[in-house]
Amino acid sequence: MPEDLVTYAENTWCPGCGNFAIMNAVKRAVGKLGERGVGRERIAITAGIGCHAKIFDYLNLSGLYSLHGRAMSCAQGMKLANPDLRIVSFCGDGDAFGEGLAHMMFAAKRNADITVIVHDNGVYALTTGQRAPTSARGFKGPSTPRGNTEDPFNPLVLMLEAGATFVARGYVGKLAELTELIVAAIEHEGFSFIDVLQPSVTFNDTFEEYNASVELLTETPATLDEALAAARRTDRKPAGIFYRIEKPSNERALYGDGNPVADHPARDERLAKVKAILGTA
Amino acid sequence: MSGDTFTFLVGGKAGEGVKKAGGSAANLFASMGRGVFQYDDYPSLIRGGHNFVSVSTATRQITSQYARPDLIVALDARSCETHKGELADGGVAILNSDAVSNGDGVGIPITTEAKKYPNPGLRVGVAGPAALAAAVGLSRDEMEDLISREYKRDLENNIPFAASIYGAVREAIGDRFRLERGDRERPILTGNEAIALGAAAAGLDIYLAYPMSPASTILHFLAKHDRELGVTVMHPESEIAVANMAVGAAVAGARTMVGTSGGGFALMEEALSLAGMAEAPVLCVLASRPGPATGVPTYTEQGDLGFARHYGHGEFPRLVASPGTVGEAFTLAAELLSLVWRFQTPAVLLTERHLSESAMTVDLDVDAAAWAEPVVQDGGDAGGYLRYRDTADGVSPMLFPPSEELIKWTSYEHDETGITTEDGAAIVRMHDKRSRKREALLEHLKGARTVNRFGSGRTIIFTYGSTTMSVLEAVAAGGIDATVVQPVYLEPFPTWELAEYAGTRPIVVEQSAAGQFATLLAEKARVDASAVVKRYDGRPFDPLELAGAIRRAIR
Ligand SMILES: Cc1ncc(C[n+]2csc(CCOP(=O)(O)OP(=O)(O)O)c2C)c(N)n1
Ligand code: SF4
Ligand SMILES: [Mg+2]
Repeated sequence: MPEDLVTYAENTWCPGCGNFAIMNAVKRAVGKLGERGVGRERIAITAGIGCHAKIFDYLNLSGLYSLHGRAMSCAQGMKLANPDLRIVSFCGDGDAFGEGLAHMMFAAKRNADITVIVHDNGVYALTTGQRAPTSARGFKGPSTPRGNTEDPFNPLVLMLEAGATFVARGYVGKLAELTELIVAAIEHEGFSFIDVLQPSVTFNDTFEEYNASVELLTETPATLDEALAAARRTDRKPAGIFYRIEKPSNERALYGDGNPVADHPARDERLAKVKAILGTA
Repeated sequence: MSGDTFTFLVGGKAGEGVKKAGGSAANLFASMGRGVFQYDDYPSLIRGGHNFVSVSTATRQITSQYARPDLIVALDARSCETHKGELADGGVAILNSDAVSNGDGVGIPITTEAKKYPNPGLRVGVAGPAALAAAVGLSRDEMEDLISREYKRDLENNIPFAASIYGAVREAIGDRFRLERGDRERPILTGNEAIALGAAAAGLDIYLAYPMSPASTILHFLAKHDRELGVTVMHPESEIAVANMAVGAAVAGARTMVGTSGGGFALMEEALSLAGMAEAPVLCVLASRPGPATGVPTYTEQGDLGFARHYGHGEFPRLVASPGTVGEAFTLAAELLSLVWRFQTPAVLLTERHLSESAMTVDLDVDAAAWAEPVVQDGGDAGGYLRYRDTADGVSPMLFPPSEELIKWTSYEHDETGITTEDGAAIVRMHDKRSRKREALLEHLKGARTVNRFGSGRTIIFTYGSTTMSVLEAVAAGGIDATVVQPVYLEPFPTWELAEYAGTRPIVVEQSAAGQFATLLAEKARVDASAVVKRYDGRPFDPLELAGAIRRAIR
């Protein structure tokens, strides 16, 4: 595991937090991608705001620590500017399915070539434990002392319906598999989504529940309907790749093999183009 | 004709080709080497309603439409009702006699004529330029050339239709409004086209926007010319997405601009504050309409001055400037894109619908446009690159991925590397760094042109933004001996340029109900208006009415 992937920032996650495993899996994945020719200099990251997002400070990777709910928008902007970069966006369940829900749906719809890793702990951890869009009905937190009155979103179903071309569920208790999911997601061209079951030991400790219910998928479902059926299962929590198809990414659809940053024009060249348009205006 | 100007107005229902007819008239005047100003008035709907285009022209550069047309072509009854009382002395109204039973003017059965050909509803607009061609003395061949240039399609029907209208007008009024030629032909641009081309001239790579009048035509223009210019254009799901994507694009190295109106700008503010903290270069065009809220989408107002000057939460160097003419919109868009890259902070190009969507002939010096260049890493941080290196002028060199170096951009308060901090001394250090950047920006602006002055007359008139065009035309038309002072930069406010006016009692002209600009002048520059001439009915000033108001204010 490449130890140089950590910065000097002091780690303040609670001991036992599921976020540690996600960071370990990312470090391993970056190592593996390096062996396959995708150097860490070509990987750029964005993060929302929350406990999960602290990963931005801890990882020795370039990028933008953005706003709550906007990490996937910033990630899409980075990719649009320089499609040679591999962009990984770390989001909380609050980021992804609360403040940033519309951006998630549209990133999936347009098949933006980014990877979104959702640290799904079913709670707003950094803000002291309020209910999240993925919290169960009845969940008690400081904003819902008598219990959550809403049913949770199913993130996998949302992303499948919205058009994501790579949809997976990972679990922090299955590190090797999570690492492989992250490698596969980053290698996939198009919108890749991994919902990572991440217990918050302090506010929503679901380790026991997940250890009992998480079950690895033996194979990737063959159709969207089968993927949806697997995603809707409530008896067990399947983990693995639910769906993977090939489709042109948004960036390719917009400008083919172009690259706005790499193709930045020389001044004379651009002025000639402006003059040509003025001549016909 | 009012003084040295001639004004043509064509009106009809939305969908009748009114805008095209007006544009054709503007092109005709421009091709005669004359100065042109074109004002489109249309409600926020797609079919029906009442649309009109007013095109004023002179053999000099002209900066406003005139409210009293010399020649009206009314395609429907409502146009006739609305505009017949506006006719200038000696003016003529050409009325569609199929729609208007007993109007005062020259009746021509335009609809009946159009019905001799397929798609009559789409054809009636052609009567506008055909009638104009007759009235200003174009020969029949010149008229046919004009129609062929402007309409291109379906000429086998358009030409005989135009010829019948041309013949009828010629018979009724001869060539009553013969026009002189001007010195040379100039391009006609709307303000939004000028902004788009100015940014392109500065090296724009990416334009992002969610449709909102009156900014939308920047999006449409750049989308239409994207390949030609080499600019990537995208319309995402919301202004929030637009602004955050823009920050992402900028930190990956792309020269990026966004555009919107007041409501969308409100949604962008959080991301502009992010750009302030992350020190990301993003240029935002704010094209105002009358507000608050949805307001009046397709009309004009200067009600967003205070909002624009204070965008975003928290303290960071803000930059706001507003062009006074379409030509200046080109120059300023380039200059602001260049400044956001030089100083790594967001900027707002504030304008209003009256500039965004009005078109005029322009003299552009494309080669003089600013070019956006980042201050780049020279290879020099011992111990690794520091995104927020604490430099003397507060500007930290930029570096973009892919790179072996660690490049951390962030919305949290941070250390020089870009790692989050809550340490008191570190907070102070970064605040001070950003403050020094503001100082550096201020020093730069002190050496730049931040205020325009026109004329050297006794009466001092302050104005800004698109209202500058109205004031300049009013002063010219009314023969007023004035000095017009127009601050182009509004934040930082160029008080150093305005010190000479402290204690004077100028006239202030603005399109705001509250008089925000007059308040700004008083608070920041100790310039107290003797009179504030305001208009806030969504319509731009008429130069003759404005000249009258200015004269009354002088007395
Ligand atoms: C616009 C905005 N609203 C609210 C907040 C406060 N806030 C910070 S993190 C957070 C929720 C965090 O939940 P989640 O995204 O699930 O991340 P977690 O802490 O659980 O990892 C909120 C509401 C904010 N930073 N910005
Ligand atoms: S509060 Fe929960 S999510 Fe946050 S660090 Fe602690 S255990 Fe992890
Ligand atoms: Mg959470």
